[in-house]
Amino acid sequence: MSVKETAAGIAAAVAAGRLTASASVEAALARIAAIDPGVNAFTDVTAERARARAAEIDAGLAAGKAPGPLTGVPFAVKNLFDVAGLATRAGSKINRERAPSPRDGALVRRLEEAGAVLVGALNMGEYAYDFTGENAHDGPSRNPHDRERMTGGSSGGSGAAVAAGLVPLTLGSDTNGSIRVPSAFCGTFGLKPTFGRLSRAGSFPFVASFDHLGPLARSVADLGLAYDAMQGEDPDDPWQAPRPVEPVTDALAQGATGLRIAVAGGYFARGGEPDCFAAVARAAEALGASRRIEIPEAARARAAAFIITAAEAAGLHLDRLRERPGDYDPAVRDRLIAGTTIPAAWVHRTQRFRSWYRARVLALFDEVDVILAPCTPCRALRIGQATMELDGVTVPARPNIGVFTQPISFIGLPVVAVPVRVGDGLPLAVQVIAAPWREDLALRVAGALEAAGVGAAPVAE
Amino acid sequence: MTTPPPSPPLPLDDASAGAVVDAMMPLVGIAMAPEWRETVIASVKATAAAAKLVLDFPLDDTVEPAPVFRA
Repeated sequence: MSVKETAAGIAAAVAAGRLTASASVEAALARIAAIDPGVNAFTDVTAERARARAAEIDAGLAAGKAPGPLTGVPFAVKNLFDVAGLATRAGSKINRERAPSPRDGALVRRLEEAGAVLVGALNMGEYAYDFTGENAHDGPSRNPHDRERMTGGSSGGSGAAVAAGLVPLTLGSDTNGSIRVPSAFCGTFGLKPTFGRLSRAGSFPFVASFDHLGPLARSVADLGLAYDAMQGEDPDDPWQAPRPVEPVTDALAQGATGLRIAVAGGYFARGGEPDCFAAVARAAEALGASRRIEIPEAARARAAAFIITAAEAAGLHLDRLRERPGDYDPAVRDRLIAGTTIPAAWVHRTQRFRSWYRARVLALFDEVDVILAPCTPCRALRIGQATMELDGVTVPARPNIGVFTQPISFIGLPVVAVPVRVGDGLPLAVQVIAAPWREDLALRVAGALEAAGVGAAPVAE
Repeated sequence: MTTPPPSPPLPLDDASAGAVVDAMMPLVGIAMAPEWRETVIASVKATAAAAKLVLDFPLDDTVEPAPVFRA
């Protein structure tokens, strides 16, 4: 099998007996050994476990066991997911001193129940407070399309591993954009589901109000397969919403037919490099979407996300900040310390604004089914780049990479990041945004863009 | 719904932000190294600027906070 094969392709080959799970896993391990030293996506390769699991799958298939939807598909997870036997480091120096996890996180278990095989854990920005993919302890993950460039973060290894063809499927987390930004910079598809849809049990938290988990892949069908396998109630996650399993895979063939699609204007049409908006225009043209819609008070929503993020993250880390602040990545530590000074009254007010904003944005979905917006205001920046120029103004790079993602995750809307090439430069992505619980619509539109040749996630050469 | 009174004057200057940081560190129990102070202050100023945007937006008293707890 080619390294460019999708998860669906691998699973079909294994199910048909053209490929064994062991051969699939060995190919991934060989690719990781050859390529990963240059991209630094992996922090742990669980080769022994993966080989044992693959052998078990092959033995089961030989004995007549029915294959699952992801049988034999190698995958890897951001290292904030619990992996049995590994300390869940969450990109930090401090957490790697923790005891090894006794069991896998909920979504890891669900993917393996569907037949997938975990091959390792992935680099990330410390404690997920990051848009760059840089890490002071493990080194930066490197963009497979240009290794001097950022992967985006904080799920940097998750983007790099997929874009480099190391594995066809990874999991990441997205609080303010941490799946969507690496998808844009590395040119992968990524799904941030509705807030509360997928279980967060067995993952290291960042901001309880905004944390989401989801997949990255090189095709929309692969996102759908992984997402369907991960749905379902989990009593271990008190924040999960009581939703039935609502599979999307069969709906993808419907494409965008009959859907009302609009482009976000105003805030989402300025403050970025022209090609970011050109990518949105290209997607809109392919979908025949000429309508523009205004998401109200998006700048305030981004500011509000900034405040809640800083306050909740500071609360989560307070003990560690008191006991060993010198062991943090300085870029993370100083923001966490600042977060401890935020007045509670501001947080309360901000959570009230969040209700107001949610109601106004949800009303837009009476008129449209899907909204298109840029994913990032720029292409992948150089590793270590501290500032960038937007609309002729020099601004700090780190906080501004997420200007277009934050107002969306702030209210938990489902989004598919669709990689769209403009010119011959580095990748960009478009956010395909739907109403809560309508991942199916966002994925259908993403699939339509892929079918039209506008959205594509080729392996970096 | 009424327009709120003006929020604290911004941009918060370095001295004011520094005073906030210096007052808060004993309260939250963090031993901040002197060399971290400048970037912490910059972050406090950025947070205050973000807060001004939110605090200046009028909200009716009946608007509930977003998180919902169910016993």
